[in-house]
Amino acid sequence: MGGATETFYSVIRRQGITRRSFHKFCSLTAASLGLSPLAAVSIANALETKPRVPVIWLHGLECTCCSESFIRSAHPLIKDALLSMISLDYDDTIMAAAGHQAEAILEETRAKYKGRYVLAVEGNPPLNEGGMFCIDGGKPFVEKLRSMAEESVAVIAWGTCASWGCVQAAKPNPTGAVPIDKVITNKPIIKVPGCPPIAEVMSGLVTFMTTFGKLPELDRHGRPSMFYSERIHDKCYRRSHFDAGQFVEKWDDKYARKGYCLYKMGCKGPTTYNACSAIRWNGGISFPIQSGHGCFGCSEDGFWDKGSFYDRLTAIKQFGIEANADQIGMAAAGAVGLTVAAHAAVTAAKRLTHNRDRAAHKSKPS
Amino acid sequence: MAVQTPNGFNLDRSGRRIVIDPLTRIEGHLRVEANLDSDNVIRNAVSSGTMWRGIEVILRGRDPRDAWAFTERICGVCTGTHALTSVRAVENALGIAIPENANSIRNIMQLCLLVHDHLVHFYHLHALDWVDVVSALKADPKSTSALAQSISPWPLSSPGYFKDLQIRLTKFFGSGQLGPFKNGYWGHPAYKLPPEANLMAVAHYLEALDFQKEIVKIQAIYGGKNPHPNWLVGGVPCAINIDGTGAVGAINMERLNIVSSIVDRSIEFVEQVYLPDIAAICSFYKDWLHGGGLSSKSVMSYGDIPENANDCSAKSLKLPRGVILGGNLKEILPIDHGDPEQIQEFVAHSWYKYPSDCCGLHPWDGITEPSFELGPKLKGSKTDIKELDEGGKYSWIKAPRWRGHAVEVGPLARYIMGYAQNKTEFKEPAERLLKGLNLPLTALFSTLGRTAARALECQWAAHQMRYFQDKLVVHIKGAIRQLPMSAGGSRKPGARRPRAMGSLRRRAVRLGTGSRSRTPRSTIINVLCRRRGTDLLAIPRAILALLKPP
Amino acid sequence: MFVRGLPNRARKLLAAVDAAPTERCIGGGIACAPVRLWHWVNAAAILILSLTGYLIGTATPAMSGEATDNFLFGYIRFAHLSAGYVLSIGFLLRIYWALKGNAHAMQIFWVPLWRSCFWREVYQEIRSYAFLTVEPERRVGRNRLAQLAMFFMFTQTITFMVVTGFALYGQGAGTDSWQYKLFSWVFSIWPNSQDVHTWHHLGLWVIVTFALVHIYAVIREDTCRPGASDL
Ligand code: HEM
Ligand code: HEM
Ligand code: NFV
Ligand code: SF4
Ligand code: SF4
Ligand code: F3S
Ligand SMILES: [Mg+2]
Repeated sequence: MGGATETFYSVIRRQGITRRSFHKFCSLTAASLGLSPLAAVSIANALETKPRVPVIWLHGLECTCCSESFIRSAHPLIKDALLSMISLDYDDTIMAAAGHQAEAILEETRAKYKGRYVLAVEGNPPLNEGGMFCIDGGKPFVEKLRSMAEESVAVIAWGTCASWGCVQAAKPNPTGAVPIDKVITNKPIIKVPGCPPIAEVMSGLVTFMTTFGKLPELDRHGRPSMFYSERIHDKCYRRSHFDAGQFVEKWDDKYARKGYCLYKMGCKGPTTYNACSAIRWNGGISFPIQSGHGCFGCSEDGFWDKGSFYDRLTAIKQFGIEANADQIGMAAAGAVGLTVAAHAAVTAAKRLTHNRDRAAHKSKPS
Repeated sequence: MAVQTPNGFNLDRSGRRIVIDPLTRIEGHLRVEANLDSDNVIRNAVSSGTMWRGIEVILRGRDPRDAWAFTERICGVCTGTHALTSVRAVENALGIAIPENANSIRNIMQLCLLVHDHLVHFYHLHALDWVDVVSALKADPKSTSALAQSISPWPLSSPGYFKDLQIRLTKFFGSGQLGPFKNGYWGHPAYKLPPEANLMAVAHYLEALDFQKEIVKIQAIYGGKNPHPNWLVGGVPCAINIDGTGAVGAINMERLNIVSSIVDRSIEFVEQVYLPDIAAICSFYKDWLHGGGLSSKSVMSYGDIPENANDCSAKSLKLPRGVILGGNLKEILPIDHGDPEQIQEFVAHSWYKYPSDCCGLHPWDGITEPSFELGPKLKGSKTDIKELDEGGKYSWIKAPRWRGHAVEVGPLARYIMGYAQNKTEFKEPAERLLKGLNLPLTALFSTLGRTAARALECQWAAHQMRYFQDKLVVHIKGAIRQLPMSAGGSRKPGARRPRAMGSLRRRAVRLGTGSRSRTPRSTIINVLCRRRGTDLLAIPRAILALLKPP
Repeated sequence: MFVRGLPNRARKLLAAVDAAPTERCIGGGIACAPVRLWHWVNAAAILILSLTGYLIGTATPAMSGEATDNFLFGYIRFAHLSAGYVLSIGFLLRIYWALKGNAHAMQIFWVPLWRSCFWREVYQEIRSYAFLTVEPERRVGRNRLAQLAMFFMFTQTITFMVVTGFALYGQGAGTDSWQYKLFSWVFSIWPNSQDVHTWHHLGLWVIVTFALVHIYAVIREDTCRPGASDL
């Protein structure tokens, strides 16, 4: 990744100088240099626009929600990200071009920005049916994914789809959908899970890379530590109720109205690494728990297949039947308990008869 | 040469074929192959849904309480819609009635989506087909300001405002890195707006981009986040607590105020920016009266936004319900989704297996068994398709029909329905807009009409949000602390009912985005739910119906 | 290969353990004082862990009143974590004692599955429990069936519980904690820690089942098999 793209313009913006006064400054400079107003535009241009990092955003099997989330970013505003921070040269949800004009951008980027563009992937590739559960340009999406990854500098896996597989990879995964790290193995991959991820986490990651000119520190699962090193539960504002043992017992009961902890409603906050309880959603206005619904772990691997979102104890599928640890455990302990009791009864009976036998034996005349 | 479709359309592949894949600015993956005649006019086209994720298959056997989260992930653009349909289907199947306040909140959330989605659809997806962003560099900011002020009281309209923007755009385009605008048809004569209108539209593109993230805060308040807010079988997950201990963690005055203020701002934005823009832009594209597709012939609307909880009668539904066939606006045919004769899906041209390809199946009896095979006239190979054979199977999308007819759905269909039913809240705004543009009623049956209907529905939805928000507050006033928001306990619905069927209508929020190829299409989605014993089959269907140009 | 890596003394002990049943008589028995002490501390810790663990899993009925007035769940978790430490440290000491103590001290860690004589004794034990032999064999050291159960249901399970327990502990303590650093490899096996909770929870029932059988066997042994060792 190239150096930080901090320009004079962004520096003075940071120092609180408005766009308007910046341009006044430029015109003044231009005037004192004896340049025309048009030249002022090009001065401003040179100051503001150093090359922006090209970003290619591909869509596999997905729901486009990660894109939708991205455009919700409040800081930076997404228009500023698009106009001044990155160059989103390909994203089939918002790009003007279509068909072969769109395809041409991919070819051009691969050649012109070899080793310098970021590949952002939303969704994932299906591998069954020769990859044709997701066709892109008449060919399996996975081919496009592989070829665009090849020349990229780094890959961002947007959302739970690209990071973990998500809903289409839930059992029985009819399309053979796999997370992208199963097909891209030779590039750094930054996983930004969440279904979708928080807007400001997405834009925060992108601007981190453009501002500091490096990849973020990743945790053991390849997620940026800055946003994924704590659980929802660790920063949840209902945590005091958890510690107190104050739980919502039923939807809309008196405890729900008091905002008690949603643990017993199946909240997966204790096992979910995401920034929702700290950064919150939509400019910090709420997050699932604040609006009364437990976290269902949407940034976690395979969260679709752990049993109901509303159950505290989750299903164990390894035993064929779908039961939770208590159901399995109580059944096992119960069965063993009964066996023990039966065994004790037989032992006692045996002992009685044995003693009687022995007594009888003794009394028998020899 | 010609292929006859089950609806009696002819697909004629004589002439030149243009393939557009990927078709952009839509949700999902789509390929269009259009057949042009010697005058470069599209005579017919095939659209192929190029993605299948198998959510119908994945949902089988799951806990019905969870189904909404799966179906919600069908689409992040009309986020929440499929989820709402799913919870309704489950409630219908299990006989669960929801409280009145939950109904209001669900309506507000769904209306919020309508407002958001229409706005984003117009400015960020569709507008690039009408607005030449590069031409905006040539505009005179003063004249742009005059234009803007002549059509709307919207305050962001000074010459300086437009000039700043223009400078920014100049820099942006001057950088040579065009981002999402790369490789557009900029400068093409089909773009008809003068530079000033283009500059104004670009300004509003950016303003709408800023504002859309505000609208969805309503969903975040009630559903915890957007996209993909949370729903709940039996009601809504948020609790109301206006005046008691712990109210700060529930829907309280502060939360209601946020919603209220966003509703006001939405109405303002739609009325002072979106609608004036539509009128202004349409006035330059008044000859754009093609692309009507089925709209003048067959339209259908399931209806939605129930006034009263659990009442899905046509009377309770605020969005109109019915079917119009053969362009006969005088006769509104009733719909019954549960009737296997009415709603059917066909797979003759879709990559699925049915017992027999000729017959349609009601979604309750629907089978989703993928089977990827291509027709004999395919050009290319199975994993490198150059041209599809429309005589064979060519899409991952099933073809839904109403009594065997292809019907258009979406905002235009709903407006036509409202118009035909003489509902003033649909009829008047449509007439007003047409009158302003000096166009006849028939102008509605076009791409222009479809674009306009979306804007009108956006306005309608913004006002309905206000209505339901007020209604909620009135209810709260009536019964301050005891406000049921959910009928469901925490328990899993019992398996007592031997066989329950649930179905609920939904509207497709949007209609074809029409890229430069202007291939019209529409969207229809059914989410139906079947439950046998303890086995749940929630069957969400995202179906892009192929519409034929006349 | 494992045996070769062990210190000399340990190897000697192992040899003794293996030999024990055939030699029939080794001084000291299994109930030496450190093991006794450990046994009861261990049993108490497990009792607390099982009760509090179960409560953590199902959660207590909601308390009312302001959050600051209560810390019930916090105390339950505190008890669980404290008992977890006691159990873990005890277990470590027990491992030390396995190497240090008498031959029997090694038995719960070392099951000579590859020896036919071991299986022969297991078979005899099964016959005895199935009432197929009237007189139980008299033996010194642990009965082979018990040894098998101890190894798989106790030693293995406790190891698993300690490892998964500390991995979960690490989540709460934070990714910078030593618990996380030492045990987060568990999350490479189960990237979604919900699974770790689930399996840790299932471990509870393995332990409970073990305790049931164990206590029964001990009592039965005591009443039916004169001369059996006691703790
Ligand atoms: C016999 C040994 C143990 C038993 C039977 C036991 C049992 C349990 C159970 C049933 C749970 C609830 C799991 C769930 O449903 O989420 C639990 C949670 C937990 N256990 Fe253990 N456990 C044992 C040992 C340990 C040890 C040695 C530690 C380490 C300190 C430990 C730490 C934890 C932690 C951190 C949790 C999660 C608490 C929370 O989520 O608030 N456990 N344990
Ligand atoms: C009423 C309670 C208990 C009694 C009377 C009891 C008694 C005994 C006796 C007599 C022995 C030695 C016999 C033999 O080695 O077969 C023993 C060993 C053992 N018991 Fe218990 N026990 C009790 C509870 C528990 C519990 C709750 C656990 C843990 C779940 C436990 C774990 C063990 C273990 C691991 C050994 C092997 C000790 C060694 O390392 O040599 N016991 N117990
Ligand atoms: N087109 C479309 Fe839709 C709608 N409504 C849906 O499936 O975007 Ni999400
Ligand atoms: S991760 Fe979730 S939100 Fe993002 S595309 Fe996938 S399904 Fe949609
Ligand atoms: S609501 Fe969920 S995340 Fe918050 S404290 Fe309770 S269990 Fe933890
Ligand atoms: S469900 Fe997802 S949005 Fe956040 S609170 Fe949980 S990770
Ligand atoms: Mg998409």
